[in-house]
Amino acid sequence: MRPDATELKTLLAAGGVKAEPEDVLLGAVARVRPREVIDALSSLKSAGYESLVDLFGTDTGEAVELTWHVRSYSQDAEVYIKTTVHYDAEIDSVWNVYPSALMPERETAELLGLKLGGHPNPRRLLTSDGVPPLLRRSVPIRTPAEAERR
Amino acid sequence: MTDPRNDVVGVGLLAEGMHDPGSPPAGIRRVPSGVDGLTTEHLIVNMGPQHPSTHGVLRVLVELDGEEIVSSEISLGYLHRGIEKLAEHRRFNALGTLMDRGDYVSGIHGETAVALAVERLMEIEVPRRAQWIRCMMAELNRIASHLVWFGTFGLDTGGMGQFLYAMRDREAILDVLEAVSGGRMMFNYVRPGGVVADLPAGIDLKVEAFLDAFEIYLEEHDALLGGNEIFQSRVKGVGIIDAEKALAFGLTGANLRASGVDYDVRKNRPYDAYPELEFSVPLGAGGDAWDRYAVRMEEMRQSARMVRQCLDGLPEGEHTAKVPKVLRPPAGEVYAAVESSRGETGIHLVTDGGDMPYRMHYRAPSLFALQALEDVIPGTLLADAVAIIGSTDVMLGETDR
Repeated sequence: MRPDATELKTLLAAGGVKAEPEDVLLGAVARVRPREVIDALSSLKSAGYESLVDLFGTDTGEAVELTWHVRSYSQDAEVYIKTTVHYDAEIDSVWNVYPSALMPERETAELLGLKLGGHPNPRRLLTSDGVPPLLRRSVPIRTPAEAERR
Repeated sequence: MTDPRNDVVGVGLLAEGMHDPGSPPAGIRRVPSGVDGLTTEHLIVNMGPQHPSTHGVLRVLVELDGEEIVSSEISLGYLHRGIEKLAEHRRFNALGTLMDRGDYVSGIHGETAVALAVERLMEIEVPRRAQWIRCMMAELNRIASHLVWFGTFGLDTGGMGQFLYAMRDREAILDVLEAVSGGRMMFNYVRPGGVVADLPAGIDLKVEAFLDAFEIYLEEHDALLGGNEIFQSRVKGVGIIDAEKALAFGLTGANLRASGVDYDVRKNRPYDAYPELEFSVPLGAGGDAWDRYAVRMEEMRQSARMVRQCLDGLPEGEHTAKVPKVLRPPAGEVYAAVESSRGETGIHLVTDGGDMPYRMHYRAPSLFALQALEDVIPGTLLADAVAIIGSTDVMLGETDR
């Protein structure tokens, strides 16, 4: 799957983002700083990457790793942008660049307990108020009482 | 007594330009300058979650100016079961059971996505026979899923005739799927390494009998609904999503192809036996509800064609590779996507070398179709909104997960 890490580096450098992308099983992955995400995605968009396929977060045990999966249908290419934020961080919405981030961002922020800034409708998407951030590793799938009953 | 949920849902729709902070989500909003500067009233209608045309539990808040929709907001979460969280506590063989309950009308596709992800991580070579069986099951499942959409989309637009015919044909497919996998909807049939059991004896006759009948029935269906002038006037030119908007909102599958973008995971990122199968990818031109209808009808024809090829060319061999009982993929991260009935169903799998995933992310194509709807619906008539929602074939089981 095109492009490889060096091409991705050139694409990002055009937008003024310095990164050292690597080729892994997933594809070309660039790790950027949280405040550079919007610049990185903008430079990809202007390079013909029309669509944000997906975004999601992973609790690594120390912080939250966010992944943006961007694809160009015209060039048949896809790349990944990753960044790591603290548990109490506020993530900036990228919906101005890719409107498809609107709902996945709400879901990610809600399920990983992050704050969402610059979003037109930053409310919870799937669960109601009071539900803990379910995708944190520290949130158990059973309450202590339920675990005892088993 | 006020419903505490009102404080949570519907705030976004009501917040802007709200004059009466005390009103509940569904109600009347005074608009100071309407036609000729007179005071007018917008009606906020709560469509769903128990609305027949929302296909499950979708809730759409719409603000109406007469018959016209001024703004809309989609409210989700009624089917949230925490599939992604539960996946972190399941062994890799059991992930398929969760995917069955995600998109519960086309379970084979979700199972295949998980299986592909695990196989890529572990570099498992799937036997050819298993790949062909997977393709046959997937295409049968696609027809079954499209038939559900076909029947209910007709109901949404006022056609009552086609629904039971569609269900009759789907029943024949479910019989086949049940004979093969043991389940009618929750198959748990596709596993990492292959499929759980070989095809039972005599199944080819059953599938052939179904195909012989279905190929005739499908043309009847198309004539019955698609040939109906009232149906055509309900869907032609309605809910236009052009290619640019479709890409911006991340649409995939038939919804994207109806807008003229030629992308099909089966062709562009081939998996299983699809490189060996002959089929064409139908495209729409304008991206209206009619295009989405036409693309899906043609997809069913192509699926039937592929099932026939699978029957004729089914290779001999094992139905599964030799895999350990407890799968322990190496630490890593992988993405595997399949073309499901609704679009690109993707699985992001993060592993740490253990026997359960560290993180599984389920890319649900319907979620992206829904957020495009929030943009498309305003400006249309309420009755058209129903047709637009129906035409995108959203599945709430996978949006909420």
